[in-house]
Amino acid sequence: MEVHYRIRKPIALEARFHIQGFTVLLGESGVGKTTLLKALAGLVPAEGRPYGGLPPERRPVGYLPQDLALFPHMTAWENVAFPLAGGNRKARALALLERVGLEEHVHKRPNQLSGGQKQRVALARALARNPEILLLDEPTSALDPLTKDQVLGELVELIRREGIPTLAVSHDPILARMADWLVVMGSGTILQEGPPEEVYSAPSQLLVARLLGYENLFPACIEPGGVEVNRVHLRLSLPPWAQPGDTAWVGIRAEEVIVVRQDPPPPLENILEGVLVSLHPEGLAYRGVFQGSIRLQILLPRHVQARLNLHPGQRLQVVLKPHYLHLMPGQMD
Amino acid sequence: MDPSFWIALRLSLEVALLASFLLLLVGVPLAWLLAFRRFPGKSILEAIFLLPLVLPPTVLGFYVLLFLGPEGPWVRITGLSWAFRFEGLVFASVLFSLPFALTAYREAFLALDRNLLDVARTLGSPWWKVWSKVVFPLVWPGLLSGTLLAFAHTLGEFGVVLMVGGSIPGKTQMVSIYIYDLVQALRFEEAARASLVLLGLSLALLVLVRLLEAKGRAWKSTTA
Repeated sequence: MEVHYRIRKPIALEARFHIQGFTVLLGESGVGKTTLLKALAGLVPAEGRPYGGLPPERRPVGYLPQDLALFPHMTAWENVAFPLAGGNRKARALALLERVGLEEHVHKRPNQLSGGQKQRVALARALARNPEILLLDEPTSALDPLTKDQVLGELVELIRREGIPTLAVSHDPILARMADWLVVMGSGTILQEGPPEEVYSAPSQLLVARLLGYENLFPACIEPGGVEVNRVHLRLSLPPWAQPGDTAWVGIRAEEVIVVRQDPPPPLENILEGVLVSLHPEGLAYRGVFQGSIRLQILLPRHVQARLNLHPGQRLQVVLKPHYLHLMPGQMD
Repeated sequence: MDPSFWIALRLSLEVALLASFLLLLVGVPLAWLLAFRRFPGKSILEAIFLLPLVLPPTVLGFYVLLFLGPEGPWVRITGLSWAFRFEGLVFASVLFSLPFALTAYREAFLALDRNLLDVARTLGSPWWKVWSKVVFPLVWPGLLSGTLLAFAHTLGEFGVVLMVGGSIPGKTQMVSIYIYDLVQALRFEEAARASLVLLGLSLALLVLVRLLEAKGRAWKSTTA
């Protein structure tokens, strides 16, 4: 489904993108994600396709706001039955709650439900109208941080099973990793869209790279066969737009900076010599800072640290494999 | 107890009841407007509605009397003479208690989560269903407590109704004026008994208001 919307108030934005399967629209706070979602639901004046000009009550969308907006004076089943008309309202509501796995909680009020359960009630209520698309505003925000990943995974699985195209807006990269289609939004406009693996491995510009967690980003000067960063030549295969003499940005993820082992013959190119400035455990990995002619964030898996036994202050070599170096057009900041 | 006490109390209750009903009718849409709509001159309008809160009741009563009196604009426009009559008492009471009711109603509306209304619309509800199934069930404790407050306030008013109604026994003598007249006549024992009835009534009303406010808060806490 193609979406093309133009909004003037409360913030000006124009967005053209696709919704395919479970689509995540990633953007920082304040770029207009929620406004765009509300416009699609008909709650903010806007023009565009689809549904342009229809009042909210006539749009075939299921809208789940950030706080889910369950009616506090109704039980779970009454919430789900709210949009239903005609006979058998209760039976139909109960069937919907069973579909989202909440058959044991149908008589509870919203304040007796957990964040994940509330989300499912809101989903069942939205499904009651047989929507063409689902709109989810920051679905990770209502969840307990400890169980967020699991609850979110189950929700996404549930939505996939229902087979309804979904647009979830978020600033949480965790959600972006679960997407079938990823859209990245900047201030008032769409910056990039595509399959997540493509967007993650090849962000089209600096802003997208920052949003997707590239921690090592450097201005670079393009040279034949590579780039120069801080007077170091790094070899990489140049895309067609890159002309020697131009400036650009080069990025590499912290987990893709590789520490060189001493026993096998070292690689021949893109090797940097320097000092390990710091090293701290971070979950099951180790995060450190390497200072050579370039300062780099590094992230070592546990098994690598177990083998190398690195400690702060020691000298070491790292290699930036051409395959993991990503070049983006753009002037210096 | 003196039969004229019951007559005065009954008149006060009737005036308060009718005034409260009218306040509900006028105040609810007005409070909605003040809570959610922006329009030029809104602050001035709000100030005017709150004026009876700070104005000496005799001043308010004096202006109402000028407005409703024999030479006043109300008679000229409608041909109805309301001064020193039941209707005049109700009219003045509505103005006098408007700030109380309006403030309570507006708070009730402001406590309402706007997302609930938005979502109700996206779920296909026409406006009347949003009102009957979502807005009203959530705000009625606030509306009722505001109305009870206005009722209790009207029951105890003195200066305004004295100016607009005078103190005609059996016609415009409300219970607060009745008690004042007893004290003037040095009939302290009867005044004490009448006062005790009013005290009990007011206390009971306020307890009811607190209970309703607690109920309103209970809804609010579940939307978070």
